[in-house]
Amino acid sequence: MAGTAVPRGTAVGFSGVTRNFGAVRAVAGLDLEIAQGETVALLGRNGAGKSTTINMLLGLLPPGSGTVRLFGDEPAAAVRAGRVGAMLQDGKPVPRVTVRELIGFVAATYPHPMDVSEALELAGLADFGGRRIDRLSGGQAQRVRFAVALAGNPELLVLDEPTAALDVEARRAFWHSMRGYARRGNTILFSTHYLEEADDHADRIVVIDRGRVVADGSGAAIKRRAGGSLVSFDLAGAGTGPLSGLPGVTAVEIRGDRALLRTSDSDATVRALAGLDLIRGLQVSPAGLEDAFLLLTGAGGDTDPGAENARTPADHGVLPPKETV
Amino acid sequence: MLDYLRLEVRRTLRDKSFVIFGIGMPVLMYLLFTTLGAGSGGAPMEWRVSAMVGLAAYAGLGAAIGVGNGLAEDRSLGWLRQLRITPLGPVQVVVGRGLTGTVTVLPAVGAVLLVGALVNGVRLAAWQWAALVVLLWLGTAPFTLLGLGNGYRLSSQTTGLVNTGCLLLLSVVGGLWFPADAFPGWLRALSSWTPANRFADLGLSVTRGGAPGLTTVAVLAAWLAVFGGYAVYAYRRAARSV
Repeated sequence: MAGTAVPRGTAVGFSGVTRNFGAVRAVAGLDLEIAQGETVALLGRNGAGKSTTINMLLGLLPPGSGTVRLFGDEPAAAVRAGRVGAMLQDGKPVPRVTVRELIGFVAATYPHPMDVSEALELAGLADFGGRRIDRLSGGQAQRVRFAVALAGNPELLVLDEPTAALDVEARRAFWHSMRGYARRGNTILFSTHYLEEADDHADRIVVIDRGRVVADGSGAAIKRRAGGSLVSFDLAGAGTGPLSGLPGVTAVEIRGDRALLRTSDSDATVRALAGLDLIRGLQVSPAGLEDAFLLLTGAGGDTDPGAENARTPADHGVLPPKETV
Repeated sequence: MLDYLRLEVRRTLRDKSFVIFGIGMPVLMYLLFTTLGAGSGGAPMEWRVSAMVGLAAYAGLGAAIGVGNGLAEDRSLGWLRQLRITPLGPVQVVVGRGLTGTVTVLPAVGAVLLVGALVNGVRLAAWQWAALVVLLWLGTAPFTLLGLGNGYRLSSQTTGLVNTGCLLLLSVVGGLWFPADAFPGWLRALSSWTPANRFADLGLSVTRGGAPGLTTVAVLAAWLAVFGGYAVYAYRRAARSV
């Protein structure tokens, strides 16, 4: 979050937004504000509500309740004014048209578009302008969708899982371009289910789970909060009841006959386990990024049949439900 | 919107199946119908003229209704959704699509008329040629709307089938392939109320040196309203999910 001395306007504002699909609550009371110029990652598992959130943000889907604002206006109005560019998930290549024709067409619909060659350059398509889109590879077609989002030179760029079909090199080039575009003062919101990607490329990470914001802050802050160690051992038939009450333990997960404890103080936890004689096959390891993410989104509680032992993040002290950094 | 029209016309003309089935097929059928079994002197001029109008109408109808195929394809690709987040308004998209149908009708109709004039020696006054093109062009409006309705309402694959089905049914019953005069009485009566039959009659009346009858125009206007209503309904339904 560099250089934030100048007060900026709000690019994106969600307040009390919900959205159901039949009996399924996809978004359950979402509050989120993104200032102009921020680069924000929307991080969550599949089905956490990321795409629904993005669709409401773009005016493709009306919220069930609450309000969504883009630059203080209705999303549809901001879209019509050409302030928004987006790369949607699952867009397939448009047949019988060349890259340059398509990007030129999209650019022309915006009031202050980017030069077509510049958009192609930024998206890594400089050499493919004359190629037909339906004859490109999957990764190249994905870059076309990025170019479509960029073409209008929008103030807000929304990217729904933008790197899904890219290989490592293309991924690196993509993020390089995205940061270049952010440096021009534009606001960027991208969704991902990789914490690492969010951490590397966003000023701020908003973690959503079950349609709610469960954490909001810089990458370092999110990792700190989700951090700690992982202590595991063989249960050998012992009961799991007392485990969640041990010192330092923040979450308990049982996988087969093995217990995995997340702890904020591994020394204290191990000492207590020794007291209970539960040290067969004991291992202590630092919680990795993926573990942190699973902890944040409470995924362990979903996958574990003995779920009563696994706590949701909001239940324990390490992870306050929401804190803005 | 003009840019959108240009883009879509380009895409349609690059579609091989449109060029083969939309433009080539009616021409081929016209040549077959007017040479096969026609005897040594060839088909009588009257048949060459009416078959020309019938098959030009068939070509126009096919191009117009076919606009729905491209629409359904774009819907399934997510391209219509992508268009919704450009400053292009939804109405501009629909109208642009409709106009695309209207533009691509021209080469299809023109090809049959050209073959009529150059190969089959059909001779008409300059005003008749001009009126023929204009009427066969404007008269496709109901079919464009029908195609759009199907394109918004149905999946990509179903749209192709349903549009082809509509095209064949309307063309045969409407007497575009074989003149309705040869139909049994009940079918002839039914035929004269169908949109394709009245559409071809726009052109036939010109080749006879007259203006289209009031009934013809009224029947077509009614079909325009019906298919227009259907297109609006289908569009509204689809707008919720696109």
